[in-house]
Amino acid sequence: MNKQLIIIPIVIFSLILLTFFYLLSIERNPSNIPSNLLEKKVPNFESESLLKNYIFDSSKEFNDEITLVNFFATWCKPCKEEHVYIKRFAKEEKIRVIGINYKDSTKKTIKWLGDLGNPYSNVLLDKNGRIAIDWGVYGIPETFIVSSEGIIKYRHAGPITKKIYKKINKIIMEID
Amino acid sequence: MAPFLGNFSLWLSLFFGTYQFFISKKNSKLKFINIAAKGLLISSLISFFSLLHCHIVSDFSVLNVFQNSHTTKPLLYKISGVWGNHEGSMLLWILVLTIFNYFIFKLYNEKNSSFISKALETQAFITVGFILFTILTSNPFERLFPIQDNGLGFNPILQDPALAIHPPLLYIGYVGFSAVFSISIATLYNSEKIPWHSYMKPFVLTAWTFLTIGIALGSVWAYYELGWGGWWFWDPVENASFMPWLLGTALLHSLIIVEKRKSLQAWVLLLSILTFLLSVIGTFLVRSGILTSVHTFALDPSRGIYILAFTALLGGYSLILFGSKSKKYFDNSYFSFFSKEGSILINNILMVVVCATVLLGTIYPLIIEAFTNNKISVGEPYYNSTVIPIILPAILIMGIGPILGWGKEDKFKTFQKIIPSIFLTIIMTIIIFFVYQTYTFIGIAGIILAFWIISNNLFLLFKKNKKYSIGMIISHLGIGLLILGITGSSVWQKEKITKMKMGENINIKTYNIIFEKINEIKGPNYLALQGNFLVLDNKKQVVVKLKPENRFYPITNNFTTEASIHTNLFRDLYIVLGDGNPNEGWIVRIYYNPLVIWIWIGAVIIFLGGIIALRVNLKKLKISS
Repeated sequence: MNKQLIIIPIVIFSLILLTFFYLLSIERNPSNIPSNLLEKKVPNFESESLLKNYIFDSSKEFNDEITLVNFFATWCKPCKEEHVYIKRFAKEEKIRVIGINYKDSTKKTIKWLGDLGNPYSNVLLDKNGRIAIDWGVYGIPETFIVSSEGIIKYRHAGPITKKIYKKINKIIMEID
Repeated sequence: MAPFLGNFSLWLSLFFGTYQFFISKKNSKLKFINIAAKGLLISSLISFFSLLHCHIVSDFSVLNVFQNSHTTKPLLYKISGVWGNHEGSMLLWILVLTIFNYFIFKLYNEKNSSFISKALETQAFITVGFILFTILTSNPFERLFPIQDNGLGFNPILQDPALAIHPPLLYIGYVGFSAVFSISIATLYNSEKIPWHSYMKPFVLTAWTFLTIGIALGSVWAYYELGWGGWWFWDPVENASFMPWLLGTALLHSLIIVEKRKSLQAWVLLLSILTFLLSVIGTFLVRSGILTSVHTFALDPSRGIYILAFTALLGGYSLILFGSKSKKYFDNSYFSFFSKEGSILINNILMVVVCATVLLGTIYPLIIEAFTNNKISVGEPYYNSTVIPIILPAILIMGIGPILGWGKEDKFKTFQKIIPSIFLTIIMTIIIFFVYQTYTFIGIAGIILAFWIISNNLFLLFKKNKKYSIGMIISHLGIGLLILGITGSSVWQKEKITKMKMGENINIKTYNIIFEKINEIKGPNYLALQGNFLVLDNKKQVVVKLKPENRFYPITNNFTTEASIHTNLFRDLYIVLGDGNPNEGWIVRIYYNPLVIWIWIGAVIIFLGGIIALRVNLKKLKISS
């Protein structure tokens, strides 16, 4: 064995450690799944609205203000946790908040929103999960930010936490 | 009381560890080292059993118990809950470190005092590093006020008998390499005539044997609990245990050359260092939260930074030491290609190449993310197309290696020796293909190689020749069976995923499966929907009734799927019940997995072979000292 070869493991070892160190030092979330829809138009869909008696047509709805689209369900525990933040978003003037109720019962949803408060300007029903498939939803809850031109700007999989809340606010400021 | 005692003993073990580090540095009297090694072992034992006690009696004043336990949890999982979380598993890690520390100490005698002192100093350094890590970033004895009535429960997917004992066995493997590391550091410093390889070998054997069975149990769990129909997914965490195993395999074999030919010494020392470093890097990958998997408990970056810094320290120190002190262990002897040492050397090279390939695949997504901010994933296709071509020749050589003699071997004589096994291989291969009737290149290659190994070792086993190590033969036989199982289950697997209503039936291979009904049942800490499936063979005879479940654990609010499996020596039938309702039907996944049982049988036989070899080596060590 050639003694000079010892340099190889040292180099590989250092490279690996440096990579790990860099990844630890930057802010990243390994469960953050990239969306193919980023910077693209919202998928086309039509849906019943829960509390209003009309059909929601996506092609007409996303072209005047920034919209936060939140997929939720009453059976999903983390949705309850993020609800406070959804309510906070609803109070902000710059954006409109839309909820998409995923594979859920209408009755339970009305009760749930009654108990916790309804932050959504519109609740759409996705009984068979088709809308979620179109949006590439990975798991409930999931949140999207759509610009006033109808372009998807941000996607977050999982409940909104304090950190994510701040991040989304920053993104809304940037788009605005 | 128990939490206090546990915490106190943890600090005490920090004291004894530090004490041992400094007194072995001074190469002081046996009396002091004795106190340190025993004190370290006893204090970490007390600390570990205190936490165990807290979990068994459900002491919710301890944050760790509150977060991971619940009064309704079965006793077995209350116990395994101790190491089913980050903090508790670090305590187990420390316990295993101190046990190996004690065994190194047991080697101490007048002739090797300075050598063993150096090894104990290194082992103490590693131990102190991990104790400090636990105390500073992940103390399992942290208290909770006010005391809660009940805990948050334990991830139900981890509630499985195989997984209950998987971590302890795996840790004996990982941590066992720490002792190998310590001995190789001592060897690099050593200038006396010390049979270091005979000290190292029992530790390598222990670590390798337990790592093997630990990995196998992890696979058993993935197969029975995850309900994905497979048993190995090239998950980064699986790779993290597979890489030390590969290098450990190379190490185990090259140690034989050191023993018999006094050659390859520097290579063995380097391998021992790298194997342990890979174990620690594996721990880092798993514990830092740098990637997600069922094993990532901790998402606290300070923990990641600590382990990373510690790895850098250990790695930097040992590799530089190797660079500066290994000169005396280099040699320039050349081996004949066609000899036992030649075959071992080829095996070594191939194992290291496979390990490097797996390492590349594991960290490639992380490197890409660091440099380009893109996320990619490396999956099964990469490993199948890179690992298999390298491992096939390794297996081919493995069949013949043990038969070859040291030095130069007569080719014609060797050929005469292997004629019977060539015949047996051909016959068995024909039989297998007559039964399964599926022909692919990889399938044929895998089956031929499996029987090549099995028949070679069977003949050796019945030869009653003292020349061969019985432990080696048995382990190799186990590997042969393992390859048989791996080939069968991966090449010939059949999968059916459909939506089924009650009363409907489906065919897979020669079986007809009828979906009879769905029952609601209640377990100790879960509710479940249970499907009833009747399996008929091609003569319309009932083979078995399979009852897969869809469980809901109300305490942790989790769903799990319990696959229902019928096993025999030729194949597994594997049914998983998915989502659904009575009107539209349920999603049902059915797998026909040939020869899976041989993977588990193979792993157990490898383990037995390892234990036998360990006993023989310990006896040898006793006689020589």
